[in-house]
Amino acid sequence: MTECVPSNTDLSTPVHQTMAAAESSPLTTHVLNTGDGVPAARMALSLHRLDTNTMIWNMLNVGTTDQDGRCPGLISRDAFTSGTYKLRFETGQYWKSLGQTSFYPYAEVVFTISDPQQRFHIPLIMSRFSYSTYRGS
Amino acid sequence: MSMAGPVSPLSTHVLNTAMGVPGSNMSLSLHRQDPSTEAWSLITTGTTNEDGRCPGLISKQMFVPGVYKMRFETGQYWETIGESSFYPYVEIVFIIKDPGQRYHVPLLLSRFSYSTYRGS
Repeated sequence: MTECVPSNTDLSTPVHQTMAAAESSPLTTHVLNTGDGVPAARMALSLHRLDTNTMIWNMLNVGTTDQDGRCPGLISRDAFTSGTYKLRFETGQYWKSLGQTSFYPYAEVVFTISDPQQRFHIPLIMSRFSYSTYRGS
Repeated sequence: MSMAGPVSPLSTHVLNTAMGVPGSNMSLSLHRQDPSTEAWSLITTGTTNEDGRCPGLISKQMFVPGVYKMRFETGQYWETIGESSFYPYVEIVFIIKDPGQRYHVPLLLSRFSYSTYRGS
């Protein structure tokens, strides 16, 4: 099962440390395929933060959703600072891998984190011709 | 920006679902991606009317197949009515294969959620 690995994780450390980072990510997502009524498994996604000096997006992490449409370990508590973030979901690739076309080549959700002490849940509820998102916890 | 004459084959409608009103006076822009450079070109800018709509987004001649982006200045919109919002803006990227059809790309929006769908 693939899992998001935080970019600041030392890959030589024991697996249980990665799992701990995964469980405590203050930012989580969940992708649901409402067209088929299933979690969207094996969807590639990436997390980015905007550098406000250069106005360039820095990629923080890439991953793939698991069988439940989730991607644990998106970011560590230490790395989760205030700022403008973007979650990019490779929805077009996902539908293509199921042999379907889609109206959207990808879906990007840009959001502002003012209080990184909170937990933030950014789900993507999607079909081939629609998607929605909300701020959960 | 609004056109006299043929109706734009691409339309939008912004709805403020939190307050149950159209999302009026919201700035938005339409862009098309250059397939070779992947750079975005601005096609139109506009502001939604009292009904949350923005007529005349694009002419039939300019509406060629390609990858388009609608950018909605949602953060500015909420700020204008004195509220904060989770999203500084919303961008919807979509593929037009058959410009002979009509496409409706609405945005249903609250401070902490949004949704869109392909309509006609």
